Amino acid sequence: MLKLSLRTFAERWQLFVGSIITVMIGVALVQSSLLILISLATYEPPASIPMLQQIELANAYEGGIALLGVTTGFSVFLTAFIVSSTFAFTVSQRRQDLALLRLVGGSRGNVRRLLLSEAAVLGSIGTALGIPFGLLTMELQTNLLISLQLVPEGFTPDFQFWIVAVAIGVGVGIAIAGVYVAARRASKVRPLEALRESGDVRKVMSPGRWIAGLFCLFAALAMTILSALLPSVGAMAVGINAALVASIAMAALSPVVVPLVARIFGFLFRGGLIGTLAQANLRDGVRRSAATAAPLLVLVAMLLAQWGSSETISDGAAEQARRDTRGDLVVSTQGAAVPAIARTSGVELVSPESQVPLTSTFNEVGEVEEPEEPEEGEAPKAPEPAEVITHKASAVATAVDPVAYQRTHVVPMAEGSLADLRGATVAVGAFDTEQTIKLGTMIEAKIGDHPVKLKVVALLPDSIGGGATMLLPRDVVPADVLAAAPTQTVVHLAGGADQGAVVDKLREQGGEVTPMAAWLAETSKKNDQQQTKISTVVMGLSGLYALIAVINAVVIGAAARRREFAAARVSGLRRSQVVRMALVESWGVTAIGLVLGALAAVTTLIGIGASTARITGSGGVTIPWLMVGLVVLGAFVVVGCTSIWTALSATRARPVTLIGARE
Amino acid sequence: MTTTVNFQLPQQAPAASAVELRGVSREYGSKHATVRALNDVSLSFPTGTWTAVMGPSGSGKSTLLHCAAGLEQVSSGQVFLAGRDITFANDDQLTDMRRREVGFVFQSFNLIGSLTAEQNVALSLKLAGTRVDKSLVRTVLANVGLADRAKHKPRELSGGQQQRVAIARGMVTRPAVLFADEPTGALDTKSARVVLDLLRTMVQTQRQSIVMVTHDPAAAAAADSVVFLRDGVIVDHLARPSATVVAERLAHLEG
Repeated sequence: MLKLSLRTFAERWQLFVGSIITVMIGVALVQSSLLILISLATYEPPASIPMLQQIELANAYEGGIALLGVTTGFSVFLTAFIVSSTFAFTVSQRRQDLALLRLVGGSRGNVRRLLLSEAAVLGSIGTALGIPFGLLTMELQTNLLISLQLVPEGFTPDFQFWIVAVAIGVGVGIAIAGVYVAARRASKVRPLEALRESGDVRKVMSPGRWIAGLFCLFAALAMTILSALLPSVGAMAVGINAALVASIAMAALSPVVVPLVARIFGFLFRGGLIGTLAQANLRDGVRRSAATAAPLLVLVAMLLAQWGSSETISDGAAEQARRDTRGDLVVSTQGAAVPAIARTSGVELVSPESQVPLTSTFNEVGEVEEPEEPEEGEAPKAPEPAEVITHKASAVATAVDPVAYQRTHVVPMAEGSLADLRGATVAVGAFDTEQTIKLGTMIEAKIGDHPVKLKVVALLPDSIGGGATMLLPRDVVPADVLAAAPTQTVVHLAGGADQGAVVDKLREQGGEVTPMAAWLAETSKKNDQQQTKISTVVMGLSGLYALIAVINAVVIGAAARRREFAAARVSGLRRSQVVRMALVESWGVTAIGLVLGALAAVTTLIGIGASTARITGSGGVTIPWLMVGLVVLGAFVVVGCTSIWTALSATRARPVTLIGARE
Repeated sequence: MTTTVNFQLPQQAPAASAVELRGVSREYGSKHATVRALNDVSLSFPTGTWTAVMGPSGSGKSTLLHCAAGLEQVSSGQVFLAGRDITFANDDQLTDMRRREVGFVFQSFNLIGSLTAEQNVALSLKLAGTRVDKSLVRTVLANVGLADRAKHKPRELSGGQQQRVAIARGMVTRPAVLFADEPTGALDTKSARVVLDLLRTMVQTQRQSIVMVTHDPAAAAAADSVVFLRDGVIVDHLARPSATVVAERLAHLEG
């Protein structure tokens, strides 16, 4: 069987090259994202740099880890989706071949083994190419991350030898798994089908396909509802996945939509010869139409979901900041400059917010504790049956003047009150999902080198776009730390004070002064840029991959149609008419992919929009119209060009030679 | 002349026939719109003979061939192939039959395009689980006059040559029955003649049983006997036919 697999290679190269490319890029993407992720996760900031920088660096890496986690997840999903749908499509394209094998005495097992060994061969070739290609991809991805300043300069991911095993698992494993279902289905082909020219006559929508499609659809809806209810951290994670699950549902159910779109096309092009033919072809080749639309669908769904939700979130954050912040100016200085700002004439109130490094440990009563790692030279400690779990964390805390802060940030606390933020106390974010921190929890912390014990007196409300995660009263922070801390001071002007004059005076004292509205706008813009960067990293390479898969599907779909095109020409169509017919038809498929992809993205956008609206109390979904426009235009252009190219090359030979060639 | 034809078969043991159909009907479609392609057909194809099945389009001749070869399930009745009742045979048993007892030749050749002539012929042996004897493959190809075309792929061969490869593939496992569906349908007169002579030689030298569906009176005349079908019923039978008589009968049926 293996030999037959190898022989078939040379014949159906479009199918096989297409399959190999999808495996290769998929393996490369997964391998690269995973290696970068692992390298980020195992990174330790050098101890020689100052504490605040260490923590900021660690935070940057942590942000990178979260980002690469999502990127890796997307790559795995896309690889599984694209490889399995491409392989299944190639199998369905060869139905007549397989029926012939059955006719000359091949058993169902023979057909299955043929297809599975083919998948193994293709998967292996793809993997073998994918591993070195993955190294290039890793370079590209790392450069992208560094140039977008999402990971610190000088970061270099390491190659791990175990990644080869992962790559093989992904490449060969997904190829075989993807073909398995298709092979089982194909092995049931009746030998008689080899004798019919009608191609695949079975219903595309098998009960299994219906069940899988509806199941995923309901799962996606459930995820939408869940993401609307979850706190901001969980909402994004669940919400984005809703679009992935929904795109599986849409891909599975797309054959139902094909005739519908075909009918609309028939209406649009009624009377015209080309339109009528294209409509008939769309309906007749439901499987081909659906398989070609699938990668486009998932690309559109992911792009819109990612861009739409990040824009929604960044708009929501801007809205939240605008609503909650009261003040006229924002002055950026070091902590030491705050008293001078307060003394400036025309200034009524100052609310300084200083960034200070804080390492904390707090104990949670819980299960038996693992023994701590022994210090150097010490014997390992025996595990003690303590019922306390010690959490350690490094964070950038915001040191504030609680009274002034409450006048500049009109946010009700989730629990407790900032009025109690006096002395050795702290207010922390209420959004840790495990609820390990409660009111009254004692946190042992070090601010700079000074140990303190802080009591949690308030829990901050959920927020969607950054903001302070930990508030300290300024008096608990040692004076030297505070004096050196980067500080933003929100200033209220006294009634009747001339803003321009105050700004000038503050600038003279050596601060960066920004009017509140401009400061909010700037923050929002920075936030937008950050979100765009993140989306670029998450979707950039994956998007290219999906795009290649779209082209691939068009090529594979056209490869099997040479005879059909020839028949159309023998019936009297000119070559240009055949090409136009293929083009119109491919645009029908494009429309299907776009509409279904957009529908899949809607599940994410509704969930994220609802979550944002709940947290900020206003707002809604921001549709990234520019992105939508680019995607629509890009899809029609790319699919259209590919279709013209493949139709031209499929009609290059004189039709009569193709009509006559029977194999 | 042939108004009533009684095909009361002699009650011989099934093994004496290469293929035997007993009261076979085959219906297509739903409850409301049933098409009866075969209507209670009883027919025996004796071992070592060549029978042609003729009839106008839609008379059920292809369905008859498919049912006889186990490619289609009958709606009622029984089918014996090489002495075995295959009426209710499962897929594995039918696969086994295709490997050992049955060979096929079709109008559209149906060779595997990626394999050479030699490999196409050897495939049948491989699937049958027999060790591939290269000299046997060569001999069979030589028998159909293609010794020098063994390394060619189907598209490098003419239609007549492709059909001869298909015959070689059908014959290499020494099947009990060779089923041929319009084997000369896509060939010019000269190539058709070569193929028919080849089939005749196989019947004469190897006592090969052949069941052939055809439109072509010249092809039918090459057979030992001809069975005529119309509307799913056997309406006529000729032994030692001549092309002229066959053409007349067929014209009569179609008219």
